[in-house]
Formats: sequence, C-alpha cells, structure tokens
Amino acid sequence: MSTQKEFIERCRRAISKRYDRPSSEGLHPLTFTDTLEKFMSQAELAGCKVVEIADRSMADDVISTVYPDAKVIASNLPEVKSATLNPDTVEDAAALNHTDVGVVEARFGVAENGSVWIPQAVKERDVCFISENLVAVLPKKEIVNNMHEAYKRITLPEYGAEEFRSYGYGVFIAGPSKTADIAQVLVNGAQAARSMTLLLVG
Amino acid sequence: MSTTHSKAAKKFLKNKSYAEWHDNTFWGLRVKRDSMAHQLPEWERLREAASGIKRHTLTNIDRYLEQFAEAAEKNGTIVHWAKDAEEMNQTVLSILNDNGVKKIVKSKSMLTEECEMNPYLEEHGIEVVETDLGERILQLDHQRPSHIVVPATHLSHDDVGHIFERELHTDPKNHDPAYLTYEARLSLRDEFLTAGAGLTGANFGIAETGDIVVCTNEGNADMSTSVPKLQISVIGMEKIIPDYDALSVFVRLLARSATGQPSTVYTSHFRKARPGAAPMHIVIVDNGRSDWLADQEHWETLKCIRCGSCMNTCPVYRWSGGYSYSYFIPGPLGVNLGMLRDPRKYAGNVSACTLCLSCQNTCPVKVNLGEQIYLWRQKLDSLGVANKEKKMICSVMDKVLDNPSLYNKLTGCASVINHLPAFMIENGLNPWAYGHKMMKFPPKPFHSLIKEYQKKENDSKDL
Amino acid sequence: MKVGLFIPCYVDAVFPNVGMASYRLLRHLGIDVTYPQGQTCCGQPMANAGFETKAVPLARRLNDLFEGFDYVVAPSVSCTAFIRYHYPQLLGEEGHRCRIAESTVDMVEFLHDILKVNTPLGRFPHKVSLHNSCHGVRELGLSSPSECAVPKFNKIKDLLSLVEGIEVVEPERDDECCGFGGMFSIEELAVSKIMGEKKFLRHKATGAEYITGADCSCLMHMAGVAAKEKIDGGIEFKHIVEILASEL
Repeated sequence: MSTQKEFIERCRRAISKRYDRPSSEGLHPLTFTDTLEKFMSQAELAGCKVVEIADRSMADDVISTVYPDAKVIASNLPEVKSATLNPDTVEDAAALNHTDVGVVEARFGVAENGSVWIPQAVKERDVCFISENLVAVLPKKEIVNNMHEAYKRITLPEYGAEEFRSYGYGVFIAGPSKTADIAQVLVNGAQAARSMTLLLVG
Repeated sequence: MSTTHSKAAKKFLKNKSYAEWHDNTFWGLRVKRDSMAHQLPEWERLREAASGIKRHTLTNIDRYLEQFAEAAEKNGTIVHWAKDAEEMNQTVLSILNDNGVKKIVKSKSMLTEECEMNPYLEEHGIEVVETDLGERILQLDHQRPSHIVVPATHLSHDDVGHIFERELHTDPKNHDPAYLTYEARLSLRDEFLTAGAGLTGANFGIAETGDIVVCTNEGNADMSTSVPKLQISVIGMEKIIPDYDALSVFVRLLARSATGQPSTVYTSHFRKARPGAAPMHIVIVDNGRSDWLADQEHWETLKCIRCGSCMNTCPVYRWSGGYSYSYFIPGPLGVNLGMLRDPRKYAGNVSACTLCLSCQNTCPVKVNLGEQIYLWRQKLDSLGVANKEKKMICSVMDKVLDNPSLYNKLTGCASVINHLPAFMIENGLNPWAYGHKMMKFPPKPFHSLIKEYQKKENDSKDL
Repeated sequence: MKVGLFIPCYVDAVFPNVGMASYRLLRHLGIDVTYPQGQTCCGQPMANAGFETKAVPLARRLNDLFEGFDYVVAPSVSCTAFIRYHYPQLLGEEGHRCRIAESTVDMVEFLHDILKVNTPLGRFPHKVSLHNSCHGVRELGLSSPSECAVPKFNKIKDLLSLVEGIEVVEPERDDECCGFGGMFSIEELAVSKIMGEKKFLRHKATGAEYITGADCSCLMHMAGVAAKEKIDGGIEFKHIVEILASEL
C-alpha cells in the first residue's frame, strides 16, 4: 500500500505553477428583503409542510394533527411528550425502524433553498432518515439568506458547533427524500423520510 | 469514415422516437439548470470563484492533502492512501475483512465505478448493494450507468417495471414510478438493516475540518452510514477543497447545475463515526490523477465537480446516449477523461463533439471541455490513432488550398458536379451525400464574379 | 480605413452571392474595401479534424495577403473565430507576428461594433427565422449565450432591425447547435443529420419563409438535410448580409 509520503510526493512533483486563492470578496450573493417569507416558500417548494407555532410546547398538537395515525414517535426533545422512543437510549440504530414520526431540532434555516441545519445531537442520528416522516423544530428568527452565511454559522457555538464537533456529523435537509430516477418523474420518499414538516417557533 | 462513437450513435438512432424522447428528457434538465442560473444575479461570479478556488486547490493539492489528513486523523478517522484502483479495492476489502463484514450498502460513487470496486469485492465474497435508486435499478439489470448524476434515466418506467417484476417480484400490471420507487424502498430497507458497513463516495473533502461532504436527494448516503456499524468513504484526491467558505461556493453551484434544484435534499457532513460504531475510514485515491495534474494542457479537467450539466447540454450526448461512448463516463467530460485515462484506447470518442462549446458555458467550474477536445484531436495523429480517410481528405484539401491557382481552377469548374448523374455523387463514397442533398454549385465562384463586377465599376467610373 | 474582404473557400465556391452582397454592402456604406485575389481557406476544417499543422501554411498565406489592412472582414463567424483564437498560436510557433488575428472581424462585428451602423439598410418584407451559430454566440459573442446568466442581447437582431419590412423570429432552443461541425458532419453522419433535421424543423415551426444566419456552413448543412429528407417546405436560406444588402 502507498504511504502518505509517497502519495503526496507524487502530487508535489506534478505541480509546476501554483495559483493563488481568489478573494471571496465581490461575489455579492443574493439576499432577500424578507428572509422568512423566502425561506417558507422555498421549503414548501422542496416539499415541506410549514407550520408556525407560538412556542415549542405546541409541537405535540401539530404532530397529532398532521400525523394522526402515527403510533411510533421518536424524539429526544423534552417538549415532545408524545414520543414513544428516545433515539438517545434505544439499543441501536435498527431499533428506530418502523418509526412513524421522528422529531429533531434544527438550528437555522437557509432562505435560498429552504434547507435547515441539523447537527447531530442524538445518539442514533438515523432518526432523521429512517423515520417515515420527519418533523424539525426551528426558531423562526434563525433564517440566513444563503449558503455563504450558512457555512459561517455552523462553526458558531450558538448554532450547535459543539454538538457537530462531538458527534462529528451535521446535515442540511431540504424537504423529504426525493428521487426522479425512474423516467425523471419526481417521487417523494426514496430511501429516507417520505414527508417533512417544519415547525417554525416564535 | 467512422469511429467507435459514431458507429454506436448510428445504432442508437435507429429507434428515432426513443432518441427523440432521450433528447427531450436531458434537454429538460438543461432547461431547469438555466432557470436556476438565471435566478442568481451572481451566477457568473460564482462560476469564476469556483474555477479559481479549484485552480488554487489543485495546484496546492500536496499541502491541502496533508492538512485534510491531519484534520481527519485528529477527528479519530483512519486515513488510507491508494495510488491506483487496485490499492483502493484492496484497502476497502481489508477494512471489511478486519471488521468481519460480509455485506455492504453503498451510495452512488463514480470513483468506485472507475476502480471497478463492486466486481472486485464480489469476487472476494462481499455482497454489495447499491442504494441510489438509479444505481440499484442498473445493478439489478447488470448494466452500467449511462449518466453520472441520473444513471438510469435512459430507461423508461416500463423498462424499470420489467426489471423489478423479475428481480423484486413486483406487480406486473403496475409500472407507476411512485409504486416502483416504494417497492425499491421496501427492499432496500432490509439491506440497510442487515449490512455490516456503509460505503460512500464524496462530493467534497474539507481540508480544514477533515469532513467528507456528500450530496444526495434520496438520503441513501445517510441511511447507509447511520444504520451499519462501519463507515468507509472513498474520495478522489481532486475533491479536496480548502474550507467551508469554498464549500459554500460549490454547493450553491452543484445541484443547480446538475438537476436544477437550489440544493440537494441532503448535504451531509461526515467527520467521524457515530457513538458505538467502529472508527470511520477514508480512502484517498490517485489512480492517474497526479499524472493528469502534470499535463500542462489538460490538468484543468480535474476541476470537475461531477454535476453532469455538460452531458445534458451536449447535443451529441442527447442524440447518442451514454452507452455510445466507450469510456464509462460519457459526454464531453467522459471524452476528456477517457483520453486522460488511455488515449489509444478511448480515441474513438473524440469525434463526439461539434465544438459548439455549450458545455463549457454550463460548466459550473469553467472547465474548457470543448477546447480540450479540440486539443486532443490534434494529438490523434502522433498517437497513431488518426482516421486514415480523414487524414487523406485533409492532405488533399491542404494541397488544393495551399495552391491558389489549382484552387481557382477547381472552384472555377465546380459547377460541373451539378451535371453529374446522381449515382456518381449520392453513393457511399461521398459521406456528405448520406445526410444531405448535394448543393448546387454556382456557375462562377466569388473570386471570378468580383473581378467582373469591379471591372464594371471601373468602366462606369471612366464614363 | 483600409478594409480587406476575406471570402472563405466554401463561400467563394458555393455562396458567391454572399461574397457579392458583402462587397456591395461595404461599398454602400462608403468603405474602401479591397478583395485581394489568391485567397483560399483559413485552415479551420483541417484543424477541427485534428490536423492543425496543415493549417499553418494557409494561416501564413492569409497573414501575408492581408498585410497592411486595418480590418479584415469576413462573412463567416467560424472562420473569423478560428483566425482570432488559433492563429496566434499557429503563427507564433513559426515566429510570425499575428496582426491578422487582431484585425479580422466578422461582418456582423464590423457593422455593429466598428461602424456602429444605425441608418436604414435594405428592404426585405418577409418573416425570417434567425439561426444563431455556435461560434458566433460562444466565441465571437454576437449574442448572449442561453447558458449564461447575462443580460440578453443579439447583435444580428440589432442589425436586422435596420431592414425595412422584415419580421425576425427565433426558433425554440435558440442557440442550440445545428450539428454541422465541419468534419463532424461526415464523421458522425447519423448524429449530424438528426441534429440538422431537428434544428431545421424548429426554424420551420416559427412559420418563417427564410432562415438566416451569420455562417453559411450551418445554413448549407440544414438546407442539405432538409432537401434530402424532403421536409424543406419551400423555406429558403439567406446569409444575413444578403438580407441587409437586399434591394440596395
């Protein structure tokens, strides 16, 4: 097997001229006058159901309204009293199979594409994917314009940088799992969540 | 006068209505991409930035690889170095063997296609399950991808329905895409739960943090890595970028260019194994890339972020299909990568370009794909793979065109051709007449007409 | 201003009227235009086929022939693009200076950018579908490429607006390739033919009586395919210069 030294030496020999990194100034990325409105419309375009609630204690009500037939609800959020499984304490990831609704916390949303940032803050992160339906709780005021702003945020402690670092995983999610691999027909619910509901709090 | 590509394309075009559907389907992706590009006032600046960052990173890749490995190891991830396909495959196999894994689930990875990893692992007793729906369809039907982003889009829903009837015992009367997708979901769910490891490719590797970033719409990379107890990610060395600042530029371009979405559904950042799982492994692969980096004319092909937009916009791809190219990656990108891989073996694809240059306008990282195909064409003769007839035609043309009096003589009597019987023109020896009705040559060429005209002008001046 | 007229080989042999229209139009605009005899080809066909070295003597010949002109004007976008972007390297290696690469312009560029013509030109009371040739769009920048997020413009349309009575339309996929591609059209026969056919049909679907463009090679390709397939429906092909100079 190659060693790191051999590998990198081969690369070094291949380089004849080194280019400087261009400045990231001057991109002037698109921003929005009403980021919340843009975020909500983009999230809906991505297939999310968006529900505004006054405070997190109302999460259970919305979950039971939107998913009335849900039997297995998985969450480690204290306000989700309807949870029947806790992904922090289940034995393994497979134990979350057949979860009807998984509920997680998102730290902020991105207006340009309707995605939300979810750093892993739970032992078994498959709750985000293996659940038939995903619910993300998101503070309404935490919306950034675009991915440039988003990537500046994910390194800040107030947006879950510690969790991201300690669990070593984070994901932007924009709506339910999708595919158009059969004849370019868009179908929601390929391998992961078949629907996604955003609870905008505040 | 034909090439491996032109022969395959001719075969593809025998079914004209299918070819037309194929053209429209991929043009549809181009239209979606355009609509995304036109919604961002900064689009062209983003492309310029992306190109500049890639140039910088590639020409400092030695330093960034060191930084990436150091960060990844600090995260507790195990980094492996593979100089070629064989080393990559052996490394993956030995990790699997060390962990007692007999079955893996994997997300789409063109690198594993390139290295033919699946057959290698299967030969060594590992069951490999593709989990991207398109890749899964192809795996069940023993086909290779016809496109790098939408690998099975050349198949109709009836084609997929028949494959699923045979392999997954689905309802033979139901070829509805939603139903077929659901059936695939159910069957793959079992695979995720029983696999011993999940393997992903990588869209980006972040030097500063050691993250592997994977973009999917299905969530299959996340399913593959959040259920099994072992994660392996393989990454071509050119996928390393400096930091999140750079990443923000690329993720804004990738999905918009690929499928016309503002982002993929999942943009996942993998840094280390989850609690209770075995350590994560990253295999960094060269497999020719350092040689390409040293190629003064073609190294910028390495900037590619594999969005597939060059295929969607390429009229030759749309009218000839992914399988008409002899390299496993088709379209303008595949023509170039094939030539970098083995110019003698893949020279038959270089004809597949009208030099319309649309590809380099859609390319989010500004790879000059068309211009590079032009450059490859110049090398065919010295590689000994130039088409002999074409060479002869060019030599004859050159003799005539470099000799104005001979040229004048020939063009002066070109209209004689108009009076030849059709069988002398519209036969197999005149390739132009295969697709075209022969043009009527005028009685006199311009250089004769202008002499007469100028004489008349002067005569009237003299009056 | 001394202007040399470059009439590429296939325009010379197959479309002499385009050359004549170019000459007449330039004279009409009061330009001191000369046509140096002894011209043949810019070398593009051989180069695009992979035999760039065969273009070198032709490049040298044109460079010498047009020595001393302020502008070399050609009614062909792809030949102009070839001279502009490939001659410096072809001639540079031979130790030639490359004035011709800088001074060569297409007729559209010359009229639109250099003369900035804005007075009425010819009369052409017909519906015309505009063919935006790839090398005009993506190399010379005659119009905004559909792929690029830039403000829309089209210099050919600007010029055609100076023609009396004309109605200009564009086909669906307004700058998609017609499939000619020089040697491509005989090496990739099947793809070239279907592309030409589809492109022609999109022009036809506009209901135009004429198809026009700044490059005769695209027009020749589409005309040949349409006639072979017997789908031409009486539509005629005219180079843009023929329309601009019409009835002058």
